[in-house]
Amino acid sequence: MNDKPGTKEIIGLLARLAVGGVLLYAGLLKALAPAEEFGYAIETYKLLDARLSLWSAYLVPWLEIYAGLLLAAGVFTRFSALFSGAMFLFFELILAQAWLRGLPITSCGCFGSGRGNSITYEFIQNLVFLALTWAAYKYGSAWSADKAAETL
Amino acid sequence: MIDRKKARLLALAGIMIFVSTIAVLLARQFNLGPERPAPAFRSFGPETAPVHIHEYTDLACPACRHAAGKIDEMMKIYGPGLRVSFKHYPLMNIHPWSFHAAAYADCAGEQGKFKEYAEVLFENQEKWAQAKEMPKEFEAYAARLKLDWPKMAACADSAETHKRINLDIAEADMKGVNATPTFFINGKRAVGGGQLVDQARKFDNILRAAKP
Repeated sequence: MNDKPGTKEIIGLLARLAVGGVLLYAGLLKALAPAEEFGYAIETYKLLDARLSLWSAYLVPWLEIYAGLLLAAGVFTRFSALFSGAMFLFFELILAQAWLRGLPITSCGCFGSGRGNSITYEFIQNLVFLALTWAAYKYGSAWSADKAAETL
Repeated sequence: MIDRKKARLLALAGIMIFVSTIAVLLARQFNLGPERPAPAFRSFGPETAPVHIHEYTDLACPACRHAAGKIDEMMKIYGPGLRVSFKHYPLMNIHPWSFHAAAYADCAGEQGKFKEYAEVLFENQEKWAQAKEMPKEFEAYAARLKLDWPKMAACADSAETHKRINLDIAEADMKGVNATPTFFINGKRAVGGGQLVDQARKFDNILRAAKP
């Protein structure tokens, strides 16, 4: 047991906790608010009709909560990081198409309806999360449940 | 060995998903989510007031009319200690025009007269609440209060107004509101005017201590 984590592993751990925490926070804010609120935000991206937007609004917060928890705890770290990265990438594509189409989006719905940042701000923020997710994927095994399960 | 590790992790993932699901559902039940702010025209009293009442109301409901009187009285008594925000919860299955009334009241609010319009609707509830056809009273009351009716009618038909009311309804459903008026006094639930007064008594010291 002389495998003391190096700088990269510590960065990976911090990235894992940061991305997991952000996903958990974003998911909780939406799960504790009426789904219709997030549903309306999804509708403004003009990709789904009202019914599908509402169904997505029911589903996405739970996915964020589960992915955030598993990633932060380091359960199936690589898979959790990959799944979280896929979600961020998907959000980036949605934001990018809204920006290209010039859609008048006042609240991206990312952290519930309370916060309304510009699309550019949210796009850059998601890029940062994507980079952190990559660090969590590559070096996020320190102090993880994956590691603990090996030694038990 | 690999299988045993995977099984442990799967069990852990299952437990985490189960526990987090229950925790979130309980948090919803106990109303721990953030409170959606009501629009400024539906909020009265200082923002810094130590006691904040959110009332889910239906403009066609007689109990809400009685409660409106009690709220006015409380605002006079407690002044700077109290802020009241109204949210719509039209019971459309028993009051066919209550959604319309909510929309018109909001649009009157956008012209600065939410409270006045709501008061007239409450006072004359029996004239329009159970009407067979679209009540003409909505326009007549707007004229009485010197509101711009064409602007108000357009606003009441707008998607933005409907969205605002639908979100109030969705929020109320999530909080388990099923009767009007339902109040949340600093988060504590009270249904009807009687419970409102009872609950408000618990905040009496804070309410009276507030300075303008």
